[in-house]
Amino acid sequence: MPMKKFINDPQHLVPELLEGFALAFPGKIRLLGTSTIVRATPKPAGKVRLVTLGGSGHEPGLSGFVGLGMLDSSIAGEIFAAPGAPKCIDALRHACRGGESALLIVLNHAGDVLAANITMEAAARELLNVKMVLTEEDISGPVGDRRGLVGCVAVYKVAGAAAEQGASLEGCFEVAQRMNRNMRTLAVAVRTATHPATGHPIFNLGEDEMEIGMGQHGEAGTGRMLLKTADQTAEIMLEKLLSDLGAVPGDELLVMLNGAGATTLMELYIVFRKVAQVLQARNIRLVRSAIGEFITTQEQAGFQMTIARLDAELIRLWDAPADTPFFTQL
Amino acid sequence: MFAEAAKLIREHCEELSELDSIGGDGDHGITMVRAMEILRCGVNPAGSADLCETLKQAGWAVMGADGGASSALLGTFIAGMGDAELGSELDCQSLAASFQAGLRALSNRSRARPGDKTMMDALVPAIEALGAAASSGKPVEFALREAAAAAAAGAESTRTLVARHGRAKYLGEKTIGHPDAGAASMALVFRGFAAALDQD
Repeated sequence: MPMKKFINDPQHLVPELLEGFALAFPGKIRLLGTSTIVRATPKPAGKVRLVTLGGSGHEPGLSGFVGLGMLDSSIAGEIFAAPGAPKCIDALRHACRGGESALLIVLNHAGDVLAANITMEAAARELLNVKMVLTEEDISGPVGDRRGLVGCVAVYKVAGAAAEQGASLEGCFEVAQRMNRNMRTLAVAVRTATHPATGHPIFNLGEDEMEIGMGQHGEAGTGRMLLKTADQTAEIMLEKLLSDLGAVPGDELLVMLNGAGATTLMELYIVFRKVAQVLQARNIRLVRSAIGEFITTQEQAGFQMTIARLDAELIRLWDAPADTPFFTQL
Repeated sequence: MFAEAAKLIREHCEELSELDSIGGDGDHGITMVRAMEILRCGVNPAGSADLCETLKQAGWAVMGADGGASSALLGTFIAGMGDAELGSELDCQSLAASFQAGLRALSNRSRARPGDKTMMDALVPAIEALGAAASSGKPVEFALREAAAAAAAGAESTRTLVARHGRAKYLGEKTIGHPDAGAASMALVFRGFAAALDQD
């Protein structure tokens, strides 16, 4: 079937998308150069800058979280592909101008990590004060090499709040690492997406199948099975997450449900209902939640479920104000 | 040299993307076309005063192609080629030395080794063949033909391997039966190099 998407030239997807995005939120963000989104109003001097990088085609991620209380800049790559190191070092130089320090938050994917490592070496040569955090919370991979999925948004939130409150680079790094250590994500997909530049499906899945453990770009997971109900799917995924986290009664959890693009809010709330029921039955406290589309993959159907164990400080940082295009709380 | 390689990559763009769609997200052809276009415009060994500097700048430009791992690795390789000591005349031995320097830079950057079903499976035998031909005093046309044949055989050998790196590793055994897209594109690049010299 030919691709049915409202696009112009497939070669110009990213610049056109970023231009439109910047025009839609003139009070919050602006485009720096061709592919970096920065805050419309820079953070006051002396506060740590938060920078992230990643491929495009996942809107509103990642640039949708640039703004007060979260990111300072986001470097956008091509569709599903990491931005190159030259753009990343340019963005870091901009973030660090005037002697400021920056925390680079990178999702663990081969291309992102390569670009980030090359960038960090260049930053070290230029004596920029930068530390890097790798988010890796996808439990479908082996410990030590897990992918970074939607949990990065929680890291942006708490580390961003810490930075806003004047924490040092070391302090922001520690908060980001603590959130990273305490979060777990699992994805499920039921229908593929079309790669908007090639027009081809990014993976194949039978009409009656679903796959647990699917990556952000449709990289195959390990749990292909016949389609299940919302309750059954929620139970399977939550059990795996709780067990991997080692959650015990009395733990206080954040739960995020991230729609992949074509899964409706209706479905996400039906899933969330079951998640809340299971947690209650196990005396695990559901203290915060975030349900919606944070990092999508075009019209892929499915969702990511994230749980994160919060301590008092992480709850306080989660509750701090944020004002970004796609995450706002007063 | 790069013009002929870029042309071959353009002609096989769809095929490379299709191979990539087995384990990745199916855009390897597009990424390689962008990267090779940068090299075609940026590297002209004949017309360059300081070839090392040209290669370093071209490598950095390829990294800027935003092609995820592919362009980061290819850019690292090209920039690394500029670490070799190159005179103004590019003979067979300095060409081999330059490719070997690129491979060293790449091996420092990536954990992938031959047998992991990556571009290394084509690149390593190609550069070994190039080095062997150079050290036995063969002319550059011959050396590049040998390298192209080794790269093609190396790419073909990935058909029976299991992917261990990048997005494809999550597929494991399911990657058996198809060559790796990165290895296939390296084989095309070396075929282009050999063809370019044959035409001269």
